[in-house]
Amino acid sequence: MKNTIWFLKGIRNGRKTEKFPSTNPEEPPLWPSRLVGSGTPECPTRAFDGGKWNSGKCISCRLCLPDYQPTGDQSIHNIKGKVQKMLSRSFYLYPVDSGTCGACNTELLSILAPQFDASRLNIFFTNTPRHADALVLMGVYTQGMEQVIAKAYEAMPEPKLVISLGACAISGGIIGKEPLLARGSLIEISGCPPSPYTILEALVRAKEGKT
Amino acid sequence: MQYYKTTRGGGRYIGQTRNFTVYSDSIVPPIRVEKKPSEILPGELIFNYGPSTGGLIESVRIALPTPGEMIRSVAVDPAYKLRKLKLTGLSLFDAFMRVERINGYHSSSYQAAFIKAAEDALLIGDNRGIDDGLVLQMELERIRSHLNVLERLCEPAGFGVPYHQLAQMREEVARLISSIYGHRYFFGVHASLQSSPKISPGLTATANGLKKRFALLFESLQSSKIFVNRLQGTGKIEKPWLVGPVARAAGYRHDARTDSPSLNYEGYGFDPVVEDGKDAFARFLVRGNEILSSFAIVDQVISNGKPESAGLKDMHGTGIGASRVESPQGDLFCYLTLKDGMVENIEFCSPSISNIIAFELSMQGNIFTDFHFNWESFGIWISEAGVEIE
Ligand code: SF4
Ligand code: SF4
Repeated sequence: MKNTIWFLKGIRNGRKTEKFPSTNPEEPPLWPSRLVGSGTPECPTRAFDGGKWNSGKCISCRLCLPDYQPTGDQSIHNIKGKVQKMLSRSFYLYPVDSGTCGACNTELLSILAPQFDASRLNIFFTNTPRHADALVLMGVYTQGMEQVIAKAYEAMPEPKLVISLGACAISGGIIGKEPLLARGSLIEISGCPPSPYTILEALVRAKEGKT
Repeated sequence: MQYYKTTRGGGRYIGQTRNFTVYSDSIVPPIRVEKKPSEILPGELIFNYGPSTGGLIESVRIALPTPGEMIRSVAVDPAYKLRKLKLTGLSLFDAFMRVERINGYHSSSYQAAFIKAAEDALLIGDNRGIDDGLVLQMELERIRSHLNVLERLCEPAGFGVPYHQLAQMREEVARLISSIYGHRYFFGVHASLQSSPKISPGLTATANGLKKRFALLFESLQSSKIFVNRLQGTGKIEKPWLVGPVARAAGYRHDARTDSPSLNYEGYGFDPVVEDGKDAFARFLVRGNEILSSFAIVDQVISNGKPESAGLKDMHGTGIGASRVESPQGDLFCYLTLKDGMVENIEFCSPSISNIIAFELSMQGNIFTDFHFNWESFGIWISEAGVEIE
């Protein structure tokens, strides 16, 4: 009885899922998004080293306004090499919080919200690294989590991927001093925190072995 | 400090910072309480949960010594993901960029506590536009945070439809926030006066539509016997030092929106939501009703207020300030010493510390199947408990 009532309530709510990533995002945030402009403005994380904007360092503090402007473009991820195509059609993620403020965690979970519904793209979360295709690392380096991350990676079956999510994990952001992993990772999803659009697009590309 | 006394007054206990015991009207030297390590009794085992596992949003280790089904005691260790934030010696603005990331999910509350402590230190009088701006941020943040707790309560109960509908509403609030502030977590909002909130003409209708849909869902959940049974009687706690929704679910009217002068809620007709069940269900009721009361405040600010950004870049000076605001999980206190616009000392008392102690006490004598419901009903954020601020 209970299930029938809730099922009907669910049906009445209608379809809420966007077509993204096969169409453009319906409501992308301005921050974070790709910044365009010129010059080397003041930046607390030195995101303009070498005169080019580095999305992996940007924390959306807006100090570079008006020299640089946000475009709304959510494609701010970086797949740095050849990603081995996953053997199965599904893509299982095991997230680990090394030292976050909590916002990266909640944005990652937002890909399960009906507007994004990651499961329609065969992207799922798993409770154990033993079933994971990708380890999603978030936050700054913390001593207490170093072993936990190493053990989770060890427990994963091959082929396995490591994804750095958010400025803290990619570059240290404003809180950390350096990237979470000394050698970095193959896939970087920029933003502080990255929006669900950016996360979903990067995961789909990683799953399909696209660069 | 214009409001806080340094001798013990009559106010309620809020918590501890590095150098102070904080009451609602005074700060005095700290009381050091040694936490005894939990012992194992004969025939017991320790069930360790975390620090990293699917059921937890953040990294935390929870140790549960148990003789079997019943949980005798609980110890929460937030130190696995301990972050160190050095704020002393930084300019107000540089410190602010880090402060808003102590708890990213409640960044507005940290922004408000910091800005109000800075205004107190620099003897800057209340500015209605800035206060309207902070109230709007904090009430939107409260709506999203409470939706998140309710959503997480539906998950272990296996209530898939309301779980997804609450997730949908939470995402809608994130988009509403993004449309006003340009960022889904309010980061960078007070960088300069250029980043003042943008209130679009359709905002009131969007917020009201969301409020109506939430009210219907909230009513349906309350009339679901299976859902109510899972929460009623779970994790009972009643202590005079409780803060936030946990206190209000135990019959206390503790709410910094009415008993702290830091942020002006006068004129919004606001009255704390109080329940007396003391359990996870009472905490669910408080949060659900607070979502509705926060929507009412948001409506008033959008219709009558002129929310502004604080423009921190333009604040300079020397002084000592303190503030206390109501974050979604309870009192958040900030103590700040400034010298020539640079931070000399900064201390926070975060509600998650109090809520962790309350959770530990409330779990005693409950059974394993209650664990998830009870944990989620406290809405604890490890990011603000596992952080060392210098
Ligand atoms: S918005 Fe990004 S790029 Fe611009 S100053 Fe801030 S961190 Fe640097
Ligand atoms: S990258 Fe930004 S949002 Fe993510 S954990 Fe770090 S500070 Fe928080």
